Amino acid sequence: MKYPVFIWMIPLLLIASPLVYLVGRIESRLASTGRKIRLAPYLALVPLLAAWVIYGFAIQSFSLSGATTFLFEAIRLQVDGISLLLAAIVLGLGTLVVLYSIPYMAGEPGEEKYYAMLLAMLGVMVGLGCTRDLFNLWVWFEAMAVSSYLLVAFYRNQPESLESGIKYLVQSATGSVLVLLGIGLVLSQTGTLDLAKISESAQPTPLLAAAGVLFLVGFGVKIALVPLHTWLPDAHSQAPSGISAMLSGVVIETGLIALLRILSALNNVASWGLLLAGFGALNMLFGNLVALKQTQVKRLLAYSSLSHMGYILLGFGFAIDSGLFLGAQGASFHIINHGIMKGLAFLAAGVFIYIEHHHSGKQSPLLIKDLAGTAKQYPIPALALSLAVLGLGGLPPLAGFMSKWQIFLAGFETQRTWASILVIFAALNSVLSLAYYTPLVNTLYRQTPSAPEREKIKIPAAILTPLVILSLLVIIFGLLPGLMDWLTYPAAQALVMGLAK
Amino acid sequence: MTLSPVNIILIGVFGLLGIGLYGLLTIRNLIKIVMVLQLLVKAAIIGLVLAGKVSGQIDLGQSTAATVLVADTMVAVVGLALAVQIRLRWGTLDITALSKLKG
Amino acid sequence: MVNPLILTTIFLPWLGAVAIWAIHDRNPRLQHALAVGFSLLAGLAALAILPFISSQETAVFSLTTQSASPSTWGSLTFVPDAMGVLLTVIATVIGSFAIIFSVEYMHGEAQLGRYYALILIFIGAMSGLALTGSLLFLFFFWEITALCSYALISFYNDDPKAVAGGIKALVITQLGGVGLLGGALVIAANLGSYDIPNFLANSQALSPALLAFVAFAFLIASAAKSAQVPFQTWLPDAMEAPTPVSALIHAATMVNAGIYLLFRFYPAFASVPGWKTAVVVVGLLTAFLAALMAAVAGDLKRVLAYSTVSQLGFMVYAIGVGGVFAAQFHLFSHAVFKALLFLAAGAVIHSVGTRQMDRMGGLGKEMPFVRNVFIIGALALAGIPILNGFWSKELVLESGLEGGPQWAYLFMLATAGITAFYSMRMVWMVFYGEPADPSRHVHDAKVAMRVALIPLAFGAFTTWLLAGPLSNASALSLPFHEIHAMSTLEFAIEILIAPSTWITVSIVAIGLLIYLLRGKLTWLSSRLAWLKFAAQNSFGFEKINQFIVAVIQRSASLLRKTQTGQLNWNLAALVGCLVIILMIVIWSV
Repeated sequence: MKYPVFIWMIPLLLIASPLVYLVGRIESRLASTGRKIRLAPYLALVPLLAAWVIYGFAIQSFSLSGATTFLFEAIRLQVDGISLLLAAIVLGLGTLVVLYSIPYMAGEPGEEKYYAMLLAMLGVMVGLGCTRDLFNLWVWFEAMAVSSYLLVAFYRNQPESLESGIKYLVQSATGSVLVLLGIGLVLSQTGTLDLAKISESAQPTPLLAAAGVLFLVGFGVKIALVPLHTWLPDAHSQAPSGISAMLSGVVIETGLIALLRILSALNNVASWGLLLAGFGALNMLFGNLVALKQTQVKRLLAYSSLSHMGYILLGFGFAIDSGLFLGAQGASFHIINHGIMKGLAFLAAGVFIYIEHHHSGKQSPLLIKDLAGTAKQYPIPALALSLAVLGLGGLPPLAGFMSKWQIFLAGFETQRTWASILVIFAALNSVLSLAYYTPLVNTLYRQTPSAPEREKIKIPAAILTPLVILSLLVIIFGLLPGLMDWLTYPAAQALVMGLAK
Repeated sequence: MTLSPVNIILIGVFGLLGIGLYGLLTIRNLIKIVMVLQLLVKAAIIGLVLAGKVSGQIDLGQSTAATVLVADTMVAVVGLALAVQIRLRWGTLDITALSKLKG
Repeated sequence: MVNPLILTTIFLPWLGAVAIWAIHDRNPRLQHALAVGFSLLAGLAALAILPFISSQETAVFSLTTQSASPSTWGSLTFVPDAMGVLLTVIATVIGSFAIIFSVEYMHGEAQLGRYYALILIFIGAMSGLALTGSLLFLFFFWEITALCSYALISFYNDDPKAVAGGIKALVITQLGGVGLLGGALVIAANLGSYDIPNFLANSQALSPALLAFVAFAFLIASAAKSAQVPFQTWLPDAMEAPTPVSALIHAATMVNAGIYLLFRFYPAFASVPGWKTAVVVVGLLTAFLAALMAAVAGDLKRVLAYSTVSQLGFMVYAIGVGGVFAAQFHLFSHAVFKALLFLAAGAVIHSVGTRQMDRMGGLGKEMPFVRNVFIIGALALAGIPILNGFWSKELVLESGLEGGPQWAYLFMLATAGITAFYSMRMVWMVFYGEPADPSRHVHDAKVAMRVALIPLAFGAFTTWLLAGPLSNASALSLPFHEIHAMSTLEFAIEILIAPSTWITVSIVAIGLLIYLLRGKLTWLSSRLAWLKFAAQNSFGFEKINQFIVAVIQRSASLLRKTQTGQLNWNLAALVGCLVIILMIVIWSV
């Protein structure tokens, strides 16, 4: 049986993961005998580059034949617009993070585990995007969660890192259990786990509604819906910077895509769109308000992720409720943009942590006031952080503006009053967010640093390259937003057409 | 509410869920929390088997239950590994002490 | 032919910004030179558009890349009509003067690359805002100007007042921007296109309720951008910016964007019940209160800031009473004389080292050139005959008498008098009287500053002569506005024979006299002490601002407490959320 080209990315990444680990262990054995080589991190790039090639073929075949469904044994898999979108952000941000981590994580104990887990997480997320089976979705989701637990708690010598890891684990596992209960309910009511068949036979019964709620809350922990978000500020700020970028940029969005796949199958059970939009509004307000009070840079960025999930939820909420594509298209575009901007922000902040680590060997949290005057010595990371943060605030000509515009337009196009009110609310929130983004930029460009100036260290090219690439993307997507239409439109189409009638 | 086997097991599932959720809210020892999580997962597993029985898809129910059994063992392993590290760095397994990160 | 010129006015400055950023701060002379060069070229390009003013819309390119997906982005279109080209010319030409002035003003300052790059990006964005025919791009360029304004106000990042001023300006203008966003989205969602001429032609296609929403939303956006009541608090604090920035952005160009918005969409909104009255009230309140605040301010730039707000109030009032051409004309005059005043003030501040007027005094002897140009600007502001301010202000008041309520006219008249009062006060406190510090060393403006100031002073005498051509061009290229074209001579005669003109002139004279005779009028000033107190405290608007900020900060601190760090609490929140959502959903099924 011929499988679509796309699928081959998954075994490629999943098999590469233990191989990289093996190479890493061999290296450490050799190192103890005096021969030091460091091959494993570079090796981790190889499967990713190969995956890009496969992705190219996959896009070609998609534009020729559209979405393809097939059965793998009893499990239905489907490669459609959403799979392509997810694979794009996973591969994109993943490659850049691996590149960035090569100098960043150099010398850390257990380095090979980092790359192995990262590759596994990437492979599993690609897999999540192309499944149409309810339980299979849970399996990929759980695998993604487990690989991320270890990545979050990577710095096991730091107590705070372990604390954030265990809290993340317990809350995420609880969410998983709720999802399982929901799966059980759906199985008992419809007798099938195939999402396509479920969407045909779903009726608005209380039990299926309860299942939907269990899915919402269960996946909601991963998506960081308020009040299920409490693990997020800790996890995103304690993880290594590359992982923070991945978590904020890709992992929480993957959770949302998983939820959307399921809710669209249960679409006629309850008005999920309204519920998602409501959570979106709550996320936006909560994230923005608490971010105002943050003094640590990475924690501020974590709360900002909460509020950006709010915009994405709003967009999808509009689409599910009204059946119009534009909301889903805007939200998909915002997933891409947020991944780019938040990834850039975390990576740029990571540069300053790298510098501090280089000078003093300590891993203390980066405070906003530590950024004062750094633009003089390190202009590129400072400019990158400024672009990322101003883009997150929704200012043109940067990317964030265009995707927010699309979501807002979608809200008005639904012609519903509650949608219009939420759009105005979201726009006001965008303004509020500027109040905590702009002090960051101002602090960077001060002339008097907060601490006495130290000698300038050379930032490795492997760290600067992802910063430059992402900065350029932020500007390009802000000026030419139509560039991503080929990806966002099929994704929106796949979601909205897949809604159960 | 007849006392058919299905209903008894259903009550059992709810009972386990109740104990589990209560435990999550009140227990302070980290190892016990991991155990409670496992309890919840077992409740979900029984639920899956039950769902298979009720809907006539016995094979589906049991195969998913078996998969979950394996998958959540991994979660338990990771959780316990973290617990070991926490005991090493923090010196305690009391989760109320693990509150350095707030605000 | 027009398109390349339009694109030049936008993208040439942007190119310049990148170039200046790229050469780094190691070569300041090259940075100065490049900045001046790029801005002058942009100014020439803008002037070259003048012969091509028309209502013809041209599309540059479409942002849709794939024909299969319906595009939300529309096309980047331009309409080179009279108002747009006027604003572009003002932005680029006065922009060049401000940059030439900066060569001397910012001599030796650090981070010049950032400074010039931001000013150039601003100039390009302003041109784009004025010339575009797409609502999306109007908002796009509008926001870019706000970004540049914020960055330039907080240019001196180490000064907390500057940073606070910048953030405040950004937040307040962005809040207003939500109005523009909402209105633009409603239009796009209901009419299916971003096209502005299309909207003006079909505005009746929107339901009355929606049209009213758009009209008032746009009014809020203009009021915030042009620092009208109740949003005026950001402009005085924006005076922390380097003075050339204040001259360009906060006097001549960005604050005019609000007026531009009202002007552009006037034909569509004039029929909305209550809209014109609201506009009149906003303009009136602003003009009057700001004039009072200018009369008691002690910081030279603050006086000019309040004066700008007040004069913008005149323009808003003019639109409200239907005198759209009067507003356009006054915008033109004001841009010239206010930029002149700001730059001259900049020369004074740069020389003396302080912005407080009571630490100046008697500078006229030591800085004769600056004194002369400043007085020209002040006379134009006060509305003394022959200068451009006189003609445009008279036209505004005349339209007010014809088209608006009488009580409003009386207030505006009084405001004209107060304007004369504070203009005189400004001139006297800075250039006459006894020096506050006799041992100071001040020098007059040098070459770069003079090169910038002389054309503006010349303009203050002569730009009114362009009234005829301006009205012709407007009548030709703005088909929806129904502007009545007249030659300059006809305008002049009309103004000179109108009785309202001479009433105004006498009020202005009274205003001047009151200041000169203030020593003998102490009984009046003690009676008005309550007014002075209120004006110094900005009539309570600052208090409102601070209240709102305090509420937000308090709620943020409260919410922060929910992140307790206790795992049990987190899980309790999870379970609680589950229970609540279960109840909501099952109850609704």
